[in-house]
Amino acid sequence: MPLLKIEDVTKVYEGKVTHRALNQLSFEVEQGEFLAVMGPSGSGKTTLLNVISTVDSLTGGYVQIGRTDPYALDKNELALFRRRELGFVFQDFGLLEMLTVEENLVLPLTLDNVPTDRMAKRVLEVAKQLSLTGILHKRPSEISGGEAQRTAIGRALIHEPSLILADEPTGNLDSKTSRDVLELLSDASRARGATIVMVTHDPVAASYCDRVLFIKDGEFFNEIYRDDRRQTFYQRVLNVLSLLGGNVNDLSAIRLP
Amino acid sequence: MTFRQFAFRNVLRSRRSYAAFFLASVFSVMVFFIYSMFIFHPQFRNEGLERLALRGMFAAELVLYVFTLFFLLYSMGAFLQARSKEFGLLMQLGMTRIQLGWLVFLETMIIGMVSIAAGMIFGFAFAKFFLMIGRELMEMDDLPLYFSWQPFVLTLFAFLSLFVLISVISVFFIRTRRITDLLRGEWQNGRTGSYSRPFAVAGVLFLVISYALAAAVKDSTVYLMTIVIPPLATVATYLFFTHTVHWLLSLYKDRKDAYWRQTRLVSIAESAVKLKESAHMFFIVTIVSTVAFLTVGTLASFMSYTGDFREHNPLGLIYLSFGSEELGETHAAYLQQELAAEGLAYELVPLTVKQQTSAEAGVAVQLLKEQEFNRIAGALGQPAADLRKGEALSIASDETLAEQMEEQDLLLEESSISLENIDPYPHAVFPAHSLGDNTLVLSDEDFLAVDEPPAGLSDNAEIFTYYAFDVPAWTETAGVGEVLTERMAEAQTEGGDINFYFENPGFSYYWFKSSFALLLLIGVLVAAVFLLAAGSFIYFKLYTGLERDRKQYALLIRLGMTQQELRKVVNRQLIPQFFLPWTVALVHSGFAFVTLQTVWDEFAASSIFLEMTVVLAGFTVLQILYFYLIRWRYLAHLQAP
Repeated sequence: MPLLKIEDVTKVYEGKVTHRALNQLSFEVEQGEFLAVMGPSGSGKTTLLNVISTVDSLTGGYVQIGRTDPYALDKNELALFRRRELGFVFQDFGLLEMLTVEENLVLPLTLDNVPTDRMAKRVLEVAKQLSLTGILHKRPSEISGGEAQRTAIGRALIHEPSLILADEPTGNLDSKTSRDVLELLSDASRARGATIVMVTHDPVAASYCDRVLFIKDGEFFNEIYRDDRRQTFYQRVLNVLSLLGGNVNDLSAIRLP
Repeated sequence: MTFRQFAFRNVLRSRRSYAAFFLASVFSVMVFFIYSMFIFHPQFRNEGLERLALRGMFAAELVLYVFTLFFLLYSMGAFLQARSKEFGLLMQLGMTRIQLGWLVFLETMIIGMVSIAAGMIFGFAFAKFFLMIGRELMEMDDLPLYFSWQPFVLTLFAFLSLFVLISVISVFFIRTRRITDLLRGEWQNGRTGSYSRPFAVAGVLFLVISYALAAAVKDSTVYLMTIVIPPLATVATYLFFTHTVHWLLSLYKDRKDAYWRQTRLVSIAESAVKLKESAHMFFIVTIVSTVAFLTVGTLASFMSYTGDFREHNPLGLIYLSFGSEELGETHAAYLQQELAAEGLAYELVPLTVKQQTSAEAGVAVQLLKEQEFNRIAGALGQPAADLRKGEALSIASDETLAEQMEEQDLLLEESSISLENIDPYPHAVFPAHSLGDNTLVLSDEDFLAVDEPPAGLSDNAEIFTYYAFDVPAWTETAGVGEVLTERMAEAQTEGGDINFYFENPGFSYYWFKSSFALLLLIGVLVAAVFLLAAGSFIYFKLYTGLERDRKQYALLIRLGMTQQELRKVVNRQLIPQFFLPWTVALVHSGFAFVTLQTVWDEFAASSIFLEMTVVLAGFTVLQILYFYLIRWRYLAHLQAP
């Protein structure tokens, strides 16, 4: 049974100009799968992520995460659902400036009233796994981008959510740190069975995934599965991207605001 | 778009962040203008109550001017810091420093001119209202609204000079910064959580010491303490906000069981940052609020004196004649005539006062006759004396004196009459200063037996006649006996000799009451400016942090925080900002009033506790309303998409 099921999802932004961001999009993500979603700017990637993470409403269609239909929940249940079942990784890290690395890590657990000793244990485990032990008492403004993103990944992993949503996690990082972060994510998926949906522009990032889903103008365009060698997978991703017809600058690893 | 248009639009478009600052400036200008309207009023004479009003308002204008200067200086500093990124960008785009200085100067002057204009318009609009209050307080016949260039010119020049000064100084604030510093927006890089433990402990220690000193103050040490305590408490407050608070918070943070629990992690960490960022502001707000509380509280406590006045002065009019009987009777008749002309009911009781020397202590003792005393006591509705031969009543106003008398027998030396059983009379009849403390009521028999004149004073035991008037409508007597009052004032200033004493408690009461009410009016307006300014600091800090807070809350919502939890977090970090300086100021004022009570006890044995409670409770209610207003707007802004 798939963990995430998207069926005919449609999102229309009303306004002076009605804009159809997602149009009858359907796909499924299996338990433990690491999925990349790619597409040119304006193809609806971020909207898709917002719709899955339940911070935006649906115009039509159906979303199921695990056994839950998040759109059937009320506001409070929805908050609790996000807190327990979802983990987030953002392009700009999304760390709280006033908290230390350690406090940022435990944040999802404190909200859920987990006993203090269990929290402390989990922090140490996660910190060790992500090599954050030395910087636990620093603040986000005092650490590097790579460390910040590792902290964010730690925060997304600490409460063992069923689904992790990553929005351009390597967008603000240099190529070396990007590789570290991606290896951490794919490791989390492979070794610990975490299910990850990652939106990205970067074909290198996509080549770390199990499957790449391409969307264009809010509709399904293509999908490819990884093979034994990352190098050839990367080539195939590039091939599909050229078919997508975007221009090359659109696909650069550095996205200008 | 010309350069001036650019500056103008900058101000217009950031009107929301300028709002509270602007409001406080306008209010300050308005109050200043209203005082000026009084000061230049053509019907104001430089005498009596009006002189007091003139001086009070002039002093208030000076205080306002100096306070507004500092308030604006601090606010402008904060504004420029908040906008430093914008300035950095402008300089990166090629604006010269001179142009930037000119821009800041123009913007400040625009706000200044608009505040002055608005303040004067509102001031003129409300002038009639305040002139009416002033007229009522000073019981003037007429104090009409008038139009003259003087108040306008004074206000305009005072505040124009102030804003020019501020603009020039604020230009220097930014000119010394490098572009990169501006772009980063870090002027004073207040690192969160940094504190020094010795300073933190010193803060607590100083606070405790100043409170202990204030609580333990005695009559003999009060003047020394008024010099020692305020500076000590000010330093203590500064250390408290810059070090002690952060020390306490870090102690709390070390207790993970309490700290890592639900929303506390976020709300306490966030409060800690806000408290650190605004430590200096909190210090200023605390001091300003304390001064405002004390001003209004002190003036309100003067009002409590007028409340006690009747108890100490039960008689309507008092006339003492030392000279010939005819003069006394003429004056008494004149007073009766005046009372009748005013249509006031009264009862006149002339009391013959004799004087003797006590054999034991060798002090003079004034004596009253029982029958006459009972007449006045009856008129005042107080119990009559019932004395037998050898008994006496002591009407000393001081309780310890009365007790002393009670213990001993007394021999009146000249007439050799001995008295036992001297009981104190439980009510005040005569004001303390009109008859000596050694005053006794004798039975009629004993009183008649006193016939020897006191040693070396006169040839008669009777030294004067006390004309006591009981007037039920005692507050209406203000104009009665004006001729006598004037004669007495003349004798006082020119050193002439008069052989009578006249007192009109109704008039004194009116004078006390109106001058205190006048001072209270002046003080409340100044205090209102102070508190509004303190409130605007808080508003401004909140507003400049709004963008950052919004991002943070959006993130927290996404991470799965519920609306209720969000409200809780907002409450937990707004409450300290509003009420921490407030509470400290309240406690400061509380202890200051303990000291004030000691001073006050010296010349009017009355308690100011009730007045203080009312004043402080009133301010607290206002602050709570302000808190709800701001929280409502803040939550609305946070949740706006």
